[in-house]
Order: sequence, then structure tokens, then C-alpha cells
Amino acid sequence: MSNTVFIVDDDASVRDSLSLLLGLRGYRTILFADAESFLGAYRSDWRGCVLLDLRMQGMDGLALQRTLRERGVTLPVIIVTGHGDVRSAREAFRQFAVDFLEKPVDERHLVAAIEEAFAQQSAELKHLQQTQDFLARMATLTPREKEVLQWVIAGRHNREIAEILDISVRTVEVHKARMMSKLDASSIPQLMRMSLGTLEHRER
Amino acid sequence: MACRFLKRSPSWLPVPSCHVSFPVMFSPKLKQWPVEIAFVALYVFLDWASYLSPYEGLNLTPWNPAPALGIVHVIRYGWRGAIPLFVGIAASDIVVRSMPGNWGATLLLSGVLSAGYACLAWMLKRHSPDGRFFAKPADFFRWSIWVVIGSLIIGTAYVSALVAVGLLPLDRWLTGLIRYWVGDSVGIFIAMPLFWCLSDAARRAQFVQRLANWETAVYSLVMLAVLWIVFMVDTTTSYRYFYILFLPLVWAASRQGLIGAVFSVSILQAGLAVAGFHQYLADISLFELQLRAFVIALVGFIIGVAIDEQQRSAAELRQTARLVVAGEMAGALAHEVNQPLTALSAYAAACERLIGHPEKTTQLGEVLQRLSNEVQRLSNVIRRLRDFFRTGATVLEPVPLRDLMRDVCAPFQDQARQSGIGFHIDPLPDVELLLDRLQVEIVFRNLLMNAFEAVTELSRAHQPAHAPEIRILSRLSVKKLTIDVVDNGPGVPEDSLEQVFEPFASTKSSGLGLGLAISRAIAEAHGGSLAIFSRHAPGGRGVCFRLELPLDAGEGGIRE
Repeated sequence: MSNTVFIVDDDASVRDSLSLLLGLRGYRTILFADAESFLGAYRSDWRGCVLLDLRMQGMDGLALQRTLRERGVTLPVIIVTGHGDVRSAREAFRQFAVDFLEKPVDERHLVAAIEEAFAQQSAELKHLQQTQDFLARMATLTPREKEVLQWVIAGRHNREIAEILDISVRTVEVHKARMMSKLDASSIPQLMRMSLGTLEHRER
Repeated sequence: MACRFLKRSPSWLPVPSCHVSFPVMFSPKLKQWPVEIAFVALYVFLDWASYLSPYEGLNLTPWNPAPALGIVHVIRYGWRGAIPLFVGIAASDIVVRSMPGNWGATLLLSGVLSAGYACLAWMLKRHSPDGRFFAKPADFFRWSIWVVIGSLIIGTAYVSALVAVGLLPLDRWLTGLIRYWVGDSVGIFIAMPLFWCLSDAARRAQFVQRLANWETAVYSLVMLAVLWIVFMVDTTTSYRYFYILFLPLVWAASRQGLIGAVFSVSILQAGLAVAGFHQYLADISLFELQLRAFVIALVGFIIGVAIDEQQRSAAELRQTARLVVAGEMAGALAHEVNQPLTALSAYAAACERLIGHPEKTTQLGEVLQRLSNEVQRLSNVIRRLRDFFRTGATVLEPVPLRDLMRDVCAPFQDQARQSGIGFHIDPLPDVELLLDRLQVEIVFRNLLMNAFEAVTELSRAHQPAHAPEIRILSRLSVKKLTIDVVDNGPGVPEDSLEQVFEPFASTKSSGLGLGLAISRAIAEAHGGSLAIFSRHAPGGRGVCFRLELPLDAGEGGIRE
């Protein structure tokens, strides 16, 4: 699904005008009158960003933002509000909002924020893709190769690994070469980077 | 001193600062004569009425209220008031006491007294230029101290003069001074607040307004009854039951503030004067009784001043609460204006993009149409808010409730007929309320608009369980008027009932979310309240808005 701007605002005119303007600038938009209908319609393959009003009937913008994070939704969020204060801005940024815009919102700022959100999302997606690829490749390793990988990442030399696993240095080298080729890693530092990203992702 | 006095004299003539109708009494000199003559007559009468158990047949009595009249007169009319004061004192000496000395002595003594009282009046005025001698406890104590010290100084001069002209033996100088000091300071202390309250039209009106209720009659009767017991029933000369007088006095002071205390102390004094006049009292006991009366008066005044102060703070607090609400209003205003502004700026930006493309002219027209709709919406917001901000200053006036409701309800009755909503107004009590008509109309309009929108939602439902209905009920109690605006719409969830009074809490897509917040602010500014209750009647759910307005709205502060 291509990048879409999801507008969640309880004011019909605001929704309509923003969608018209963004449409003219070539963005796809989908509109929601409240947080609940957005959550109800949400699908995990949605890409783009959410333009979120703070003060809405029912669940407010910050609560929706929190709920999205709790559910692991990675759609970037831009807050657009008519009455922002420091407290709500702080809360929004703690929940990793891309930007916090005040109504009436300036077109250039809005577009810049949307572009930043898209960029942030594609970086995130790219990273996610790499991680998933890496994990998929990890799955093809034999148990012995996984053991070797573990010790390589721990920074041991071939000779040490041979001693620990009680096999010949030559065998370690074979396992290591096969493991490197399966994981598509050309050097030890690259291997480290890839595995680190995986760990980091798992922690988040 | 004289020089400073001359410099001050213009402002000391109480023309602009004292909100009084002076011109009539002050500028044409001839017209002032009746006032001066009345003053002299009243002065002589007071002197005569209080000339009880005098010491050595001189102007040394246990209670001497006439100087209080003189001081108030000088405070009001400036130094020129000292001349009738002199005439009054001299006339009293001649009429009441048949001039104990010769003409020269009378003139000298009257001169000493009138100069002394005028100076005391000037000092009092200097320290409270706005005439608020009794407004705060601190003012009251300062005034008391001036009275006590001032009468000591005047007494020293007067009694010395008595000795000098040979009317008082030198060995009685000290006793005479003490008699004079107590009599004068007690007399001024007790009588001056009363004369001050009565000395101009505005204060007189306030005095009468404060006292015009049944409580005044009851405590006055209690006071007279106690006085009767003290002097007539208990025939011993120790006046054991005198302390019971505290009871009605504390009652008066705590209910009506300083004015109540002043009034009840005046009754007490009048009672003492009558008792003394009819010789019910032993020679020395009036002096003792007067000291007790002084203590009672002191307690009453202190309570009265404290009560006034407390009522004023309460009124100020209400004002502050109103300001807080106004702050929330500002937030709400920002929100309400920002929504259409956001739409406006986005539509305008869209127009900019469309304008270069001839093939998109139709769409441009549509966008322009929506843009002008937003302008309309913005101006609606402003108009609705203007209602509140235009009436920012509360102006209270007596308004008959029935008139008010007739005007407010008329347009809603039409609407009810057209849309088939039952709109019932139960008979309203025939009362007149002191309120800001514009503001209270806004409250009722908001409540009714709210109710109509609620029941309209109901009738939009596919199968309304019951006919939409709105009802206005009212109840009158001693102190307040309660008006309920009841609807049988969908109601409000129990846990968000209070939220309806928060700005932007509207559950309506097009609502301002401000009406109820404003309404509550207005109700509270009138010393009333606005509350919401859920209804679970057999006729359906819905809500009841309860507006309470005090029947004496505005007393004690808003008008100040």
C-alpha cells in the first residue's frame, strides 16, 4: 500500500480542507472523525503517517498515540492542535511524535512534517526489512554454525573457538565461511552490525 | 500645621471623593441654612437627652453623644461646619444647663470644645480621606484610638478651662477629666457610627436596605425585653442581667454586620437614656452601666466589622473565580477560532494551487464556496462569544422572573411547535430578582438550546421510545429560587456529568462547547449555582439542569 496521510480530526471542515489541500499536492488521504473509528479500521499494512488532533470527543489524540504504540503500530504520528500546551507537547514527543503543529497550520510546515514522517517510516521499514532478512538467513544456519556465530560475535579468534568447541581450527574456518556466506556478510564488522541491529530491534 | 491644612483644604471639602449629592446642599449658601439650623437643634436635643447624672452640674455626663454629631458634621462640611458646632455647644450650655458661668465663660468653653472636636474630625478625615472609618478591622481600631486619645486631649483642655473660669475646684480636676473622658469617648464611640451611616443618602439607603428584614424586628424586641427585665423586673441596683444584652447584639452584628451592630447599640443607648431620664437609676450606676454598654458596643462593632470584612472577601473570591473561568474562556475562544481558521488557510492554499489551471475552475468554485462557509462559521463563533464578553461587567437590576422567562422562551416555543417537541413551562413564581438581565438570558438560552438539541437527537432515532419533551420547573424558598430545565433526551453518562461544564466538552459535532461553561460562570457571578443531574424517570432518561439564584443576589459585593 502506498504512503497515505491518515487524518484523524473531529472537525469536518478541518478534515475536508486538509484532505483537499494534501490531495492537490499529490498525497493520498483517508479521513477519520474520531480515534475509535481509526483504530477499528486500522490494518497492519498501512503505510504513511497519521495527522492527529489532540482534543477530540471520546479518546483524545494523546491516548490514541499511546494506544498505537502499545499495539506496536509504527505509523509515524504528527500532532496538529488548536490549543497545544507544553504538557501535551512533551507527552506527544515522549511518544515519538514526528512533529507538533499548531492550528491554523502552515502548509509548508505541514508538508515538511509529512515528508519527514514518510522518510522516518521508510528508514524504519528498511531497517525492519534488513532485520527480517537477517533473521530469515539465521534460520538457515546449522546448530554448529550458530555456535560459531555466537563466539565470533563475542570476539573470539578461530583458534579459541576451536578450543572451546573442541574441533580443529580448520573446521572452524569452514563453518565460519559457510555461515558468513549464508548470512550474506562480507566482513566481521558487517556481521556485527547486522546482528546488533537484530538485538536492538528485539529489545524495542 | 496651618499651612498643611490650607493646602489640603480643597480635597478636604468632600466634593468628588465622597459619592454624595453635595451640590444641592453645598454650593448655594442660602440653601444650607436649614441644614445648619437643623444641626444646631439636633445638637441641643442630644445634649438635653443625654444630660443625665451630670458632675457638679457641668457638661460632664456619663454619655455624651452630641459631639459625635458635631464631628460627623465637620467631616462632611469641612471647617465651615465648626461654626454651627460652636453655636450648638453654646446653645446647649444656655438651654440645657442654664449657663452655669457667665457669657464669657460659655463662649470660651464652647470655643475650646468646638475647636477640639473640629480638630479631631480633621484628624479622622486625614487618616481615612475616603470616609471608610469602619471598612476593615484595622481602620476601625485606628478610628477607636483616635476617638479615645482625641477626647482625652480635648477633655484636658476643657476641664482645665473649667477650672480656669472658676466653675470647677482645682482638686476636682482629675475626677472631672476622667468623667469627661469616659463620657465623651463612649458617646462618640457609640454614636458616631450611627450618625455616619445616616449622614448621606447612599449610606442611608444601605442602612435601611440592610435592616429591612424580620430579623431586625425580632432582635430589637429581644433587646427591649432584656432592657425591661434589667431595669423594671430586677429591682436590685446591681443590674445582674445586663450581660444578656450580648445575645441580641451578637445576633445583630453577626447577621447584619456593622450596620446591625450600630442599630442595636443605638437601641441599647436609647433604652439607657430613657431609664436614666425617668430616674430609674441611682446617681452613680448610670456611669457604671455606661462602661458596660461601652464594652458591649465594642464587642458588637468588632464582630460587625469582621463580618463585613468576611462578606467582602467572599464577594472578592467570587470575582476571582469568575476571572479563572474567563481564562478558560480565552482557551476555548482560541480553540473555536482555530478550527475554522485551519480550514480557511487550507482552503486558501488549495485555491492557490487550483488557480493556475483553467480546467479546474469548477473545483475552484467549490473550494471558494466551502471557504466562504468557513468564514460564516467563524463569524457565528464570534457572535456567540460576543454575548459573553459584551456583558463582561455585571450590571444588576430588578427583573421580574416572568418577564424574563417570557422573552427567553418565546422563540423556543415556536421551534417546539414546528418540530413537535413538547415544551412545558410550569407556573412561575411572581418574584423580582436582582440580576444582570442579559447574562441570565444567556444562561436560559443555553440551557434551552442544549435541551432542544438533546431531544432532537432523540427524535432522529428510528424508533423513539417516547415523545421528546422539555419541561421548566421552578421552586421558591426563603433564600433562593431554583429553576430546573429538564429534558428526556439521550442523557449524559454518569461519570462525565461534571465534564459538560468544561469548555470544549460539547458532545455535539457543531457545538461551541462553551455555553454551559459560560452559564455556570454567570450563575456563580450572581452568587448562585448551576448543576446537572441524570434523570431516570419512567418517561425516559435525559438530564436536569438546576439553576439556583439567591433572592438577594448581589448583596454583599457584586455591585461594589
